[in-house]
Amino acid sequence: MRQGILFIILLLLLPIAVAVQDLLPAIPPFQARILLLPVVFCFGVMALPLVPSLFFALATALVQGLVLLQIQSGQAELGLTVHVVFFLAWAIVLQMASEATHGMRWEVHALGSAVVTLTLLGIEFLVLCVRRGGFPLEVTVLLRIMIPSLASVLIAPLLYFTLRKMVPVFIEETHLPKKPTFSS
Amino acid sequence: MKKIQIASLVILAVLAIAVCLLESGTLTWLQSGLLGVISPISRSGSAVKSTIGTLGKDLLSLDQLQAEYERALAENRKLRAENNGLRDLQRDNDHLRQVLGYRERSSFRLVPALVLGHDAGVWWSTIKINRGSADGIAPDMPVITDKGLVGKISAVSGNISEVLLITDENCKVAAKVEGTKEQGISAGSRDPLGEMRLTFLSKLADLQPGQKVYTAGVSGGIFPSGIALGMVKSFHARELDGEAILEPSADLGTLEEVFIVTGAK
Repeated sequence: MRQGILFIILLLLLPIAVAVQDLLPAIPPFQARILLLPVVFCFGVMALPLVPSLFFALATALVQGLVLLQIQSGQAELGLTVHVVFFLAWAIVLQMASEATHGMRWEVHALGSAVVTLTLLGIEFLVLCVRRGGFPLEVTVLLRIMIPSLASVLIAPLLYFTLRKMVPVFIEETHLPKKPTFSS
Repeated sequence: MKKIQIASLVILAVLAIAVCLLESGTLTWLQSGLLGVISPISRSGSAVKSTIGTLGKDLLSLDQLQAEYERALAENRKLRAENNGLRDLQRDNDHLRQVLGYRERSSFRLVPALVLGHDAGVWWSTIKINRGSADGIAPDMPVITDKGLVGKISAVSGNISEVLLITDENCKVAAKVEGTKEQGISAGSRDPLGEMRLTFLSKLADLQPGQKVYTAGVSGGIFPSGIALGMVKSFHARELDGEAILEPSADLGTLEEVFIVTGAK
């Protein structure tokens, strides 16, 4: 029941993250953007058990795919398949990371958010290069991938501790570590 | 593994395959639904951002007034402050008159819209505006300002739309160069510098920096002829054609109000 409520809260956070990241200013001088969706995704897949986390990954893929949807000549330029495979794969990896660290840790969440952002932007760039042709791998392009990833590292702990404060009751029954007690 | 988990995984697999096989029409419909969902958050967030921005401007004005005060100790301080305040009002007044005047003298039917925010997609240049299908907005309608072309509507929901900017690689515009017979196709690029490339020009085109570029308005195209597109920054001949780098006429980084062209008057 509580996991179900956490799942719904996380689902609601997806469109909120999309709206908020659009309102955040670009980072000069290369107009790099701050991405919140990968950070929310990492929190969700690490906080939920395996099967709900996979459903959450599918929902994230749907939202991210629709946000970036551009129809060119009647065809979606970047279809949903790339995002579905990407987020499902990362959900499994992050679940394993969560298991390996005996529960969710903020450091793992921060690192995971950065790596997911980095690979997400990298894969989108590669797919676009294949679709549109050309491979303009310049310093500015690399910085446009690197800066949002670094920003994710800084934002992830804020989101992690805010969510833990906001939904502590719901998280207790999930994979999040419980606070150590004197008796344990 | 429990039976319920196996059943859930099977359902997940079916859903994932179904999502991957969605056709562009369904995807557009879903995208419109998502825009509708985030619309209230975007609108209220944009209003808050605007309020904070105004506060920042007010603080800047006080800084400027302070600087004025120190430079002109001999002058009457109160009069100075009043003058500065009036100048701000005059600037706002001029800007609004300019915007209103453009709408009135334009030969297009224009729907004014406020920019809600720049989208966070790294490889696409899009913005969201506060007009949608409820205001008669439809995909592919051109979006302009009094300075020039901004882009075209790429997705529409009830009261919010997405605009694909002319600096996006996918926004291709037929264009002509002022004072020449040169015509080409302008499109943005994947680099973040906000420039456009005008290609398919003659290799021998004698283009000079500063020359203005306008939309060519080809038949069957979506952009009317004669809208300012940009200014030539540089030109170089390639193997088969000539290419000019353009700077957009409209300042796409600081857009606040735009107009959607819904038809001719």
